[in-house]
Amino acid sequence: MSDPLRAIELALRDEGLFFTRDDDDDARRIAFKSEGDRYFVVSYRDDPSFIMIGSGWALPPRVDPAQAIDVANALNVRKKFVKTALWQEESDVLFTVELCVNSASEVRPHFGRLLNVLRDSATEFFDLLRPGEI
Amino acid sequence: MLSVRETVKRFIESEGHKVDATPIDPDTGSSELLFRTRGQVFSVTTNEGDERTLSISTAYEIPEWAREPDQNAEALERARKDHPTVTFTLAHDGSLFVATLDQEAESTQELMHAFWILVSRLRDAGTQAVEDIVDRTESKAAAEKFINSFMMGDGQ
Repeated sequence: MSDPLRAIELALRDEGLFFTRDDDDDARRIAFKSEGDRYFVVSYRDDPSFIMIGSGWALPPRVDPAQAIDVANALNVRKKFVKTALWQEESDVLFTVELCVNSASEVRPHFGRLLNVLRDSATEFFDLLRPGEI
Repeated sequence: MLSVRETVKRFIESEGHKVDATPIDPDTGSSELLFRTRGQVFSVTTNEGDERTLSISTAYEIPEWAREPDQNAEALERARKDHPTVTFTLAHDGSLFVATLDQEAESTQELMHAFWILVSRLRDAGTQAVEDIVDRTESKAAAEKFINSFMMGDGQ
């Protein structure tokens, strides 16, 4: 079967970004950085029409998990495409775009937009975590 | 010891972006580094004689229907007042403008530390200028349409 992430590689080349591949028996993965921030793309071998683009961030120390969940909920209501979730005993926050596609080539022309919305969601999340701003 | 050009190039590459580096003037040691981010090409000018300054530029195409050089020069002047660290220059017969941010710091490392903030500041300034140019032109077009329509109605 052809590589479902090949079109994502082309989209990353369109954006002028370096990337690395990390495939195993379960999934195909791409890791890359943009403006110094790390992102990943995953395609599972048993579900090739599903593609996830995401980024994970450590929560700052002394953040109230309840407040972080409220902020994540607020973003989930408002933001297009992006799912925001607390992860691993609430010490990390994960921003993901999850798509169902016939081919990853469908994503290529929209990749820049999806990357922007991931970036904006992270920025807004951490801005909103400041006290008194929810 | 690494040259200023190589230091900046390696930094941008370490942040995930491909970079094309070209010497501009071997006598003065100036070079241009090109990279893309968020769909836009940026140019960084470095100078081996001065490691504490760099210049970041990016170009914006002005839509054909909005190419009114005098009015666009006024729009860029307004943008310059809002973003005094950015220089705006109309080029190619008014078909595009170049936004340039010159930054000075204590060291190349300090410049790199603030690099994406500077890119963001330049992008915000350029976007505001584009919005001013397009919005004003659209408002003018709408006003003319209204006036023409009104005048036609008035004459009937």
